[in-house]
Amino acid sequence: MSARRVRAITRRLLEGFRRDRRTVALLFVAPIVILGLLGYLLRGSSNVPDVGIANQDAGPLGSIVAGSLNHSSKISTTDIDASDGDAKLKDGSLVAYIVFPSDFSQKAQSGQITPEIHLEGSQPGQDSPVLQALQQSLIEVASQVAGRSVSFQPNVHYLYGGPNFDTLDYFGAAFIGLVVFFLVFVITIVSFLNERSQGTLERLMASPLRRGEIVLGYMLGFTVLALIQSAEVLIFSLAVLRIHNEGNVLLIFGMEALMAIAAVNLGIFLSMFARSEFQAVQFIPLVIVPQVLLSGIIFPVSSEPTGLQWLSNVLPLTYAVNGMRDIMVKGADLTSPGLQLDAAVVAGVCVLLIVAGSATLRRRVA
Amino acid sequence: MSDAYAVNVEEVSKSFRDFKALNGVTLRVRRGEIYGLLGPNGAGKTTLIRAICGLVEANAGTVTVLGQKMPDVGVLRRIGYMTQQAALYPSLSVQENVEFFAAINGAEAGVKEALELVQLYDRRGSVVSTLSGGMRQRCSLACALVHKPDLLLLDEPTVGIDPQLRVQFWDYFRAMAAAGTTLIVSSHVMDEADRCQRLGLIQYGRLLAEGSPADIRAQGGSQDLEEAFLALAGRKES
Repeated sequence: MSARRVRAITRRLLEGFRRDRRTVALLFVAPIVILGLLGYLLRGSSNVPDVGIANQDAGPLGSIVAGSLNHSSKISTTDIDASDGDAKLKDGSLVAYIVFPSDFSQKAQSGQITPEIHLEGSQPGQDSPVLQALQQSLIEVASQVAGRSVSFQPNVHYLYGGPNFDTLDYFGAAFIGLVVFFLVFVITIVSFLNERSQGTLERLMASPLRRGEIVLGYMLGFTVLALIQSAEVLIFSLAVLRIHNEGNVLLIFGMEALMAIAAVNLGIFLSMFARSEFQAVQFIPLVIVPQVLLSGIIFPVSSEPTGLQWLSNVLPLTYAVNGMRDIMVKGADLTSPGLQLDAAVVAGVCVLLIVAGSATLRRRVA
Repeated sequence: MSDAYAVNVEEVSKSFRDFKALNGVTLRVRRGEIYGLLGPNGAGKTTLIRAICGLVEANAGTVTVLGQKMPDVGVLRRIGYMTQQAALYPSLSVQENVEFFAAINGAEAGVKEALELVQLYDRRGSVVSTLSGGMRQRCSLACALVHKPDLLLLDEPTVGIDPQLRVQFWDYFRAMAAAGTTLIVSSHVMDEADRCQRLGLIQYGRLLAEGSPADIRAQGGSQDLEEAFLALAGRKES
């Protein structure tokens, strides 16, 4: 063991980084960006779920609880008609609505508190603030109704999902698409970079090939691989993991395929901005991680701080994830305007990336 | 009149930032000749070759290839370009590589002939990553000539090649020139110059002298091409 030889290796390594400013920048900028984003997502959140209240109680208790809920910091309430509730859940203007039935006070007299809770249910993590707020309000009220033992027996209804949905059922839909998107992106960016670094791209450029032909050929080649991978992922998810699926399997496959095509073209496009495989891999924390955080996979977009919601709404992955959930959790088909938008955005991004990819492939490389 | 020339480079300049890679180069290559582009490393040979096949856009001047002003995609079909390092797909076999470059030029029929010419037909199934440097170079040559181009641009094809293979390469080149192909071969090895019909000496992005090896000897005032070249280079500098 020679200290001098070890030092030579250490020094060589650090000297190499000194010339690769971008890697150094990434090394020190990426963690701040990612952690900052995460912090803002988790703490900066000022958006509480919108909850509708329908008070049909003949007695006084319903309005007391409703009044208490109005002051809750966990949710923001609006008064609605119980008959409009489901429509408002479907169009996304409400996350949940609570109905106090006409016999609410009467039943409370006999010690049973039975509000109806209707949850939208397609997004994990949105239900708990609603249940917490209601529980808190009822505890406050119960302390006013002294001396009686009351039992809290809410009737919980789910528009989508439900008690038989576990965490994987919620996340699975999004992850099926994400796994394909991520892996296809990495493979494309690295192999297109190889084409540059091994000099074959120079040869292609000196041949009669058109830029569009190169991009299209690449896209088809990787899409074939991506489709096989998509099918495998889908079969594994549905048959082995038994992830809940309400929708049409072919639609899921179609959405996956769109995501794969987007990933291929993103890879080709971004490979223009990398000089080495090392730099190419750096696009993962820069391009992929923030998109994943903001896409609504883990944190619902509606609960993000307003500024980040803007950002989420321009990132294509948000639409892709939303589309996958619409199909698998909500059972949406192509007649659903939500899914139409999602599919259209992802397809539009594909076209945009194909154009951008061919545009950056300059015939005159220098 | 321009039809006598396969390549007509007229006052071409190209800078990369502050570096003048080409500084007003004018040269003409006749059809069916082997033209040697000679000069030290960094003289501008590769940039000139890339300008001829349209990969580099000149800041000034014009390049005409086979009667067409470059860049022109149509002419690219008639050009073969062998890059300095053997640019091949390492995970494909020799034959698959040649077939690929044949296909993008629409010349699938020429694969066997090209492989036979570079004597790789027996090794056609070998994966390129397992080949020696010389075999890769031969495979690279096969990829450049598989579509029977009218103009073949060879950027230092004999660098890093043993003397035996070098002799073989020059045999191929002569055979092709005899069949009517125009070849531009760059090199920094002066003893290859004698194998060319005409030479262009290039240094600091300028054409120092042009002519047959005999002309160059006369201009440089030395029977030794290397000395003649050095004399011409020194004269230009002072």
